Amino acid sequence: MADSVGLALPAPAVPREPAVRPLRARSFKRGAAKRKHSFAGWMFVLPFMVIFAIFLVAPLAYAFYLSLFTKGLATGTTFTGLAQYVKAFTDPSFLKGAWFVIRFAVVLIPVQMFVSLAAALLLDALTSRYAKFARLMIFLPYAIPAVIGALMWSFLYSPTFGPLQNIASVFGTSAISPLSPDNVFGGLMNVVTWQWAGYYMIIIFAALQGIDPTIYEAAKIDGATPIQIAFRIKVPMVSSALLLILVFALIGTLQFFTEPQVLQVVSNGAITPDFTPNMYAYNQAFAYANFNYASAISFSLGIIVFIAVYIFLFATRKRGSILK
Amino acid sequence: MKKKVLLSGLSAVALVASLAACASDGGTASSTSAADTTNCTNKIVNESAPRIAVWAWYPNMATVVDNFNKLHTDVQVCWNNVGQGDAEYTKVQTAISAGKGLPDVVMLESDHLSSYSIQGGLADISQYGANDVKKNFSAGAWADVTQGDAVYGIPVDGGPMALIYRTDVFTKYGITTPPTTWVEYAADAAKVKAAGGPVFGDLASNVPSMIMALQIQKGAQPFQIDKSDPKKLTIKLDDQASKDVLDYWAGLVKTNVVGVKDQFTTDYISGVVNGDYATYVSAAWAPGYLSGAGVGTGASSGVWAVAPLPQWNASNPVSVNWGGSSFAVTSQSANKQLATTVAKGLYADADSLADGWKNQVIFPLNTSVLSSQEFIDNKSAFFSGQTANKDVYIPAETAYKGAVYSPITVYYYAQLTAAIAKINQGQISGSDAATQLQKDIVTYAQGQGFTVTQ
Amino acid sequence: MTTARTPSRISARASSSRTRRPASRFSTRNSLAYLFLTALILYFLIPIWWLVVASTKDVGGLFNGTSGALWFDKTFAFIPNLMQLFTYNDGIYIHWLGNSLLYALTGGFGATVLAVLAGYGFAKYNFKGRRLMFSLLLGSVMVPLTALVIPTFILLSNVHMTDTIWAVILPSLLNPFGVYLMSVYTSNAVPDELLDAARVDGAGEIRTFFQVAFPLLRPAFVTVLLLSVVATWNNYFLPLAMLSNSKLFPITVGLGLWEGQASANNSGGVSLWGLIIIGSLVSIIPLVIAFLTLQKYWQGGLAIGSLK
Repeated sequence: MADSVGLALPAPAVPREPAVRPLRARSFKRGAAKRKHSFAGWMFVLPFMVIFAIFLVAPLAYAFYLSLFTKGLATGTTFTGLAQYVKAFTDPSFLKGAWFVIRFAVVLIPVQMFVSLAAALLLDALTSRYAKFARLMIFLPYAIPAVIGALMWSFLYSPTFGPLQNIASVFGTSAISPLSPDNVFGGLMNVVTWQWAGYYMIIIFAALQGIDPTIYEAAKIDGATPIQIAFRIKVPMVSSALLLILVFALIGTLQFFTEPQVLQVVSNGAITPDFTPNMYAYNQAFAYANFNYASAISFSLGIIVFIAVYIFLFATRKRGSILK
Repeated sequence: MKKKVLLSGLSAVALVASLAACASDGGTASSTSAADTTNCTNKIVNESAPRIAVWAWYPNMATVVDNFNKLHTDVQVCWNNVGQGDAEYTKVQTAISAGKGLPDVVMLESDHLSSYSIQGGLADISQYGANDVKKNFSAGAWADVTQGDAVYGIPVDGGPMALIYRTDVFTKYGITTPPTTWVEYAADAAKVKAAGGPVFGDLASNVPSMIMALQIQKGAQPFQIDKSDPKKLTIKLDDQASKDVLDYWAGLVKTNVVGVKDQFTTDYISGVVNGDYATYVSAAWAPGYLSGAGVGTGASSGVWAVAPLPQWNASNPVSVNWGGSSFAVTSQSANKQLATTVAKGLYADADSLADGWKNQVIFPLNTSVLSSQEFIDNKSAFFSGQTANKDVYIPAETAYKGAVYSPITVYYYAQLTAAIAKINQGQISGSDAATQLQKDIVTYAQGQGFTVTQ
Repeated sequence: MTTARTPSRISARASSSRTRRPASRFSTRNSLAYLFLTALILYFLIPIWWLVVASTKDVGGLFNGTSGALWFDKTFAFIPNLMQLFTYNDGIYIHWLGNSLLYALTGGFGATVLAVLAGYGFAKYNFKGRRLMFSLLLGSVMVPLTALVIPTFILLSNVHMTDTIWAVILPSLLNPFGVYLMSVYTSNAVPDELLDAARVDGAGEIRTFFQVAFPLLRPAFVTVLLLSVVATWNNYFLPLAMLSNSKLFPITVGLGLWEGQASANNSGGVSLWGLIIIGSLVSIIPLVIAFLTLQKYWQGGLAIGSLK
């Protein structure tokens, strides 16, 4: 029992061993026996790898191949090597979009983390029916497709017939527009938080539930308050779940697409076709008929995501704990 | 195990190679592949006849297709609605880029024809007898679907522009006759505003095609395509007429006499219903559009009327067009002759056209309708019995001379949208926006390999 | 009982009520906590409440109603809206609902099976290329999927599969994150000793997997299944690009089609906004039910990505 809990409880101060390492160390001792099974290992992995090769590796390789060519509507396609990448990293539209998603991630992720962590800690501490109900309600938006969620918010944000109008009319003012150029940052942040915070909350909550309660009992005997327990024991113990969520949120935010794309039509021009790099790539491919440049933008964004995740993992000194 | 790695590596390479191969032979006008005609939204009447795949989004398309299929034993239409406007264009662009996947006939707004013909996505159907039906359309409508001698579509519906206004607002603020010039329009706008009335109109960033039409009305000629070489463009987005029109609207925005909301949104429509706008600068499809949104019923019934579009020079009126679609034949079609037959015949029979205009689905361009007494004398329910066709829309359509749409329409519209948004946010003047736009679009066109004359 | 090890213990704990009640004695703190909780519930629930209310309104009530966006209008049009939803355009909405179910269940189930097998393979075998493939897998999460759509379209159109259900189902089988979860979970939940014991007893690798390992992986299986089903159910971009025949659309693409038509009010007299709203409401019901009924399975399983 203690051993299995130990798996769920990384001690943050001590440099952690990647989970599979002990397993591998053991397996190397019995190298011969293991190697005999490697064919079976291949067989288990093969079906997935076939799909992986067909629907990910091949399309990606092809997209990369295309990104090495430049296409002009009037000139056709010519091989230009990395010129499209040079163009992307000097293209104000791409850079502006990249800068936006980076800023968005820096502000959004802590807010999202705060909401989901606070909710999870609270729900872990409370055991009433109400808390159980709350848990499900907070999680509910995750069950709504992002497209439909954004569509709902496009109604809710309406300054003419949305609830903001009702609230504003009580105070005798006109409703603010959450998608005006000044507010669009916050307006989008709200949509994303609403959609995803519940999902993150449930992951943290599940990790909290995995902690052995005897640890709190000991702390309580030592006179720790519930808040001390929450921040000194619980939070460090779920740090690994937090890290996982942070990396998810980082990747997802940098690839921000669906919500701004759907809300674009009600933003009165505040959300432009090059608002985020992914939207820019989409429009280059499907509106401006330049799939070659769109591929280059997508890969450039991929590079930015990779660097951001690496910096992040480096900063949290958890390098290699996810990308092992 | 090495062998396996090698094998999987090889198969990935082979896949990529096959992808590359099919992409390089696709996208050219010569490649053809039979479009899929097994999944049809409609029922096929004559099972033995060859089928032509069609994408279209007209809401009464089911009726139109049935009419066509009943009338034809030699060909049957297999129709699908893959989305309206941008949704369909995404699919069209994917299929052109992939070199596969287009239907034989596709419904396109006329201002998008050049964008796809420059990529070799559309067939020049003049060689398949498209000109046989030229006589059925006004000179302007036909000009919109042709480039020199090449014909890239058969027109179906159009949008001659006019001024819709609210009689209740006009009466309340003492405007006895609708403005006939833009100077009067601005004066009336100021008058209503000064009396505490609603805004007069709306400068929406998401209707760049309307702004372009208004610029053309003042004599601008944003794009010209060399008749012998479509890769030679003349771009003039910063001439005096273009600047004047943007400055005019920027002025109205600055004095708050027009709104700045995007159109085609529920928010805007709800404002129209509530009487937040005294006028709606719009096109002949607008009554149908507004009725479909519930405008003209309940509180907003019986208050609408239409007048000709205000002019810059009342003694020399210019008619312009906003919107309207046509049927184009794709270069991927395996049977372009038969596809042309469909493009010419679909939505061209009397029943379909009557269904279209009587239910306010389209403003037809076919002269057989435009000259029919029933259409001329029709009393519009939306306009409280006004003979809108006779008074406003038919003269506007007849006087329309056509416009030239560039092969970079989508990019141009996106930049124009951004420019209008900036004007609406007070960040830039109309003239400066025009200058900026000229620079952007010329750079983009040159980057795409066009020879640009400024 | 081997099933009493880590993962199932977590899921059992998540569903059963617990004995410790740390906050119950601090009543001020408690009421503050409940206040915060109520605020959270309101925040997450108001948009859904709005959806429920809006689905009872006719078009007039929706845009120009008198009782505000968050309360019912004079006319209660829920049933007429529902009837129209299921009959408009020959009941195309029912097709879409059925398609979404088909894609989500087959795609989701297939992806989960592949993920369980691959996760087990990565966790319990050491073979050439394992590390390379596993890094590829994780790296692939970082590439924006926009880049994949046109190549995938070309690929599938070469084998004449675009505009068929396979164009949606086959790419949905790809769930690298599911493989990652399963592999993390497997390395913790399935002890090597147990597998070795089975092998010593003469069981083949496949039998070992099905009889020994798989029963231990069930909680993770349900979680990955649910995540895959949700991912496929929510997918918009892929089916949008692959499908032309509106009878094959899933619900997300279908509602998107309606939205395009509604924005142009080009629906021949029927205002589609009401249908879009009630259609959205109906479309979220299956997943909500799935989450509510299966919660004791998935809630614990969600922690597995961090169990290391």
